[in-house]
Amino acid sequence: MTENKNRCVVTGIGMLNAIGNNVDECWDSAVSAVSGIKEVKSVNSEGCYANLAAEVENSTLDDAKNASDMDRVSKLCVKAATEALSDSGIDMAREDSTRVGVIMGSCVGGVVSIENYYRNGESASDVTKMPISAIANMVAQECGAGGVVTNVANACAAGTISIAYACDLIRAGVGDVFVAGGADAFASVPYAGFISLHALDAQPCSPFNRCSGITLGEGSGAVIVESYEHAVARNAKIYCEVLGSGISSDAHHITAPRPDGEGQMNAIRRALANSGLEPKDIGYINAHGTGTAKNDEAEFLSLHTIFDETNDNLSVSSTKSMVGHCLGAAGAIEAVYAIKALTENKIPPTVGYKDEDMDRLHERAGKIDFRANVAIDKELTHVMNNSFAFGGNNASIIFSKEAGDVKIPEAKDFEPVYITGLGIVSPIGNGIENYIEKNKSGYRPTEASVHSTVDRTDYDACRLKMAFYRKLDTFSQLQAVSGMEALADAKLEINDQNATDVGIVVGTADGPISTVCDFQKDLIEKGNSAGSAFKFPNTVYNAAGGYLSICSGIKGYNVTVTNGFQSGISSIAYAYNVIGQGQEKIVLATGTDENSEIITELYGKLGCVEGNTDGAYANGNGFVLGDGSTTLVLESKSSADARGAECYAKVSGYGMTHACVKFGTVSGSEQALCDAVSIALKSAGLGIEDVDAVVGFGNGMEAFTRLEIGAYKNAFGEEKLKTLPVHTVKEVMGECRAASSAMSAAHAALMLSGKLDAEQNAYMYDGEGMKACSVNTEKYRHILVTSCAAGGSCCAVVIDKI
Amino acid sequence: MTENEIKIADRIKELLSESLGIDADVLTYEIPLFGDEIGLDSIDSMEIIACIDDEYGVSMNGVGKEPFYNVESLAKYVAANIG
Repeated sequence: MTENKNRCVVTGIGMLNAIGNNVDECWDSAVSAVSGIKEVKSVNSEGCYANLAAEVENSTLDDAKNASDMDRVSKLCVKAATEALSDSGIDMAREDSTRVGVIMGSCVGGVVSIENYYRNGESASDVTKMPISAIANMVAQECGAGGVVTNVANACAAGTISIAYACDLIRAGVGDVFVAGGADAFASVPYAGFISLHALDAQPCSPFNRCSGITLGEGSGAVIVESYEHAVARNAKIYCEVLGSGISSDAHHITAPRPDGEGQMNAIRRALANSGLEPKDIGYINAHGTGTAKNDEAEFLSLHTIFDETNDNLSVSSTKSMVGHCLGAAGAIEAVYAIKALTENKIPPTVGYKDEDMDRLHERAGKIDFRANVAIDKELTHVMNNSFAFGGNNASIIFSKEAGDVKIPEAKDFEPVYITGLGIVSPIGNGIENYIEKNKSGYRPTEASVHSTVDRTDYDACRLKMAFYRKLDTFSQLQAVSGMEALADAKLEINDQNATDVGIVVGTADGPISTVCDFQKDLIEKGNSAGSAFKFPNTVYNAAGGYLSICSGIKGYNVTVTNGFQSGISSIAYAYNVIGQGQEKIVLATGTDENSEIITELYGKLGCVEGNTDGAYANGNGFVLGDGSTTLVLESKSSADARGAECYAKVSGYGMTHACVKFGTVSGSEQALCDAVSIALKSAGLGIEDVDAVVGFGNGMEAFTRLEIGAYKNAFGEEKLKTLPVHTVKEVMGECRAASSAMSAAHAALMLSGKLDAEQNAYMYDGEGMKACSVNTEKYRHILVTSCAAGGSCCAVVIDKI
Repeated sequence: MTENEIKIADRIKELLSESLGIDADVLTYEIPLFGDEIGLDSIDSMEIIACIDDEYGVSMNGVGKEPFYNVESLAKYVAANIG
């Protein structure tokens, strides 16, 4: 049985969708087979062949305390999160805020604000509402969370992965309580996008029945997941246990699932194995069940293959038939439905079957009860929620009345994690050798906006064919090249034997916002019936990770995390956890961001694009905006040893915290960054005296300079700080957001491995400010890499010499 | 190709390069669009239909596969059907 310290429980739930404004309403409607699918109201459907959607009708969304700073997606999310928090009875005043986190999933983020930006005067106030990053920050502000705060951007699997990650972090001892879930708003971009793919059903979607397309919905779902011990200590009401989860990638196609269901089955089997359960144990599955022929056929196949042999008592339904496909919220909403089914012992139906459909259903359903049209009472013990997304991402999670048999190593027992490969795409050129050369040359950017370039030479070196790379937008191209470079540097060939042992964690601040804006501008010009089917698949944040899976053949864990600049090292923290907990042997941890004319314009609106020649720790108003992609191959020691891999350095621990400052700003984040440093050092078993150097995030902008100095003074004390070299990569490559934060870790690994010259430029605090100096790095053993997002999320990662 | 067809073919090359990310130097009049090197698929053909409609007002909805074989066949179809 799962040891108490490994148990995660659900202590609060919240939900909002087209059939209800809270959990009770949504549940009562679902078990009464009420559909929320109606003619669309909030977007223009002129000339479109399908005009149905399941929109939320709620007049209180603007009641949230920071509503004027929020996109509709954040308002939806805060609503469900607030309900879940209230339901859990948590008193934040009594909690250690650094042990409370927020993980929220989304597919399209602030697309309502993107449309508003282009239709209504291109205002700066819309810019900070656009990214997915904003969502978890808004929830954190609402509840005062000070622990791990981030967003999972894996399209339609985002909500499920968010809950899975929150539980993984609790089991790793990183936090006690998480608000986890997902949200998405119905808007022109997803509507016109699915129209362009001819993936919308002209009638209400009919999962596992007509299977002629999806109907989009919107809404949010939130669960409070909590360590069992913490919940018991505060005498909380416990809904159920969260057992294991499974996450996989298809390595097949950017929008279509594998017809053979391999990726889906890998996720389901992992979830069962991680829970200590057998297929026969599952009583109900809230299926992905989108209503497209490709999804439903693959899902029928996966479920029959896994469950038919031993399970005579399985019920399956798709609540999407009532609430539509809520994209990044879907997994979270369906998790809440699965939890309600479990605790109420009642299965909500898939609606929309006519009498004449039933024979066909019985034929396709076989021995599985694909629950049609009416709810049924059923005693349940273990239930599963499945989500399968664009990009070929699959996620499965199990909720239970029993403790299961979850066996996950404690953080203190994590196997060492080595860095065995690097891939670098940057404005100063691509590849490790180029970086080493530019580091020697003292290169400095001369313009305020700089760009990475990938061309035929890079593609040829990575063995990427035009038939593949032409489909990618710049964001995905940067990621594909750095990812493939890193695999080559690690001398790692992906094959049938190791494909599921390797995962991907992409970190990004802004994802494909440039492509989303471009797609939106076309819609404004040509109408929602004229969206580009070529561009639309690239509007999801996890497209880059999906394409990397396709071109490399990687079939393991695949997640995209997004929360500002620090996403490039929080991806390393995430990957370290995935390997430590035994989910994968190898994970590509990346930081990727694109700089286009659109991105330069958006950052320009915020007034922070500025050529800066006064150094990384200057007091400027802005920074040199850049882009790129850095990939680090993280690998368990046993895997690296077994294949004789060359190792750059070791990842030894991390700390992630959050300051509830206004989204888009950093001022006031000093204590959070200080806490992240302390937690990282503690997790690595180090003290402040052990730190030889910091690779910080100085980009020349005053707010960041003040933040770093303030935080390091608190963390290290002024005397230690006066002898502590602080390096930065941004002076050379610009503020490449997630790409430069991941590059900071790569830079640390290159210093520790002796690949860079021993004499390196750095900064040292002199009592007033940071002064440039040159330091000898030969004796470095422990380097702390730091970063902070505009919004208060901080991350510190410890990189050690091997 | 006639002079007019060549003019249309050159414009179609530009459109396909821009909208489908095809390297311009690879895109000859003759290269098969759905072959291994360029690798167009059904989503790309929807994009071609939209481009041709936008540029020339020629609807290719429901047209068989043959006109989509290469840039030359597209140009000939457009030249034959332009209003």
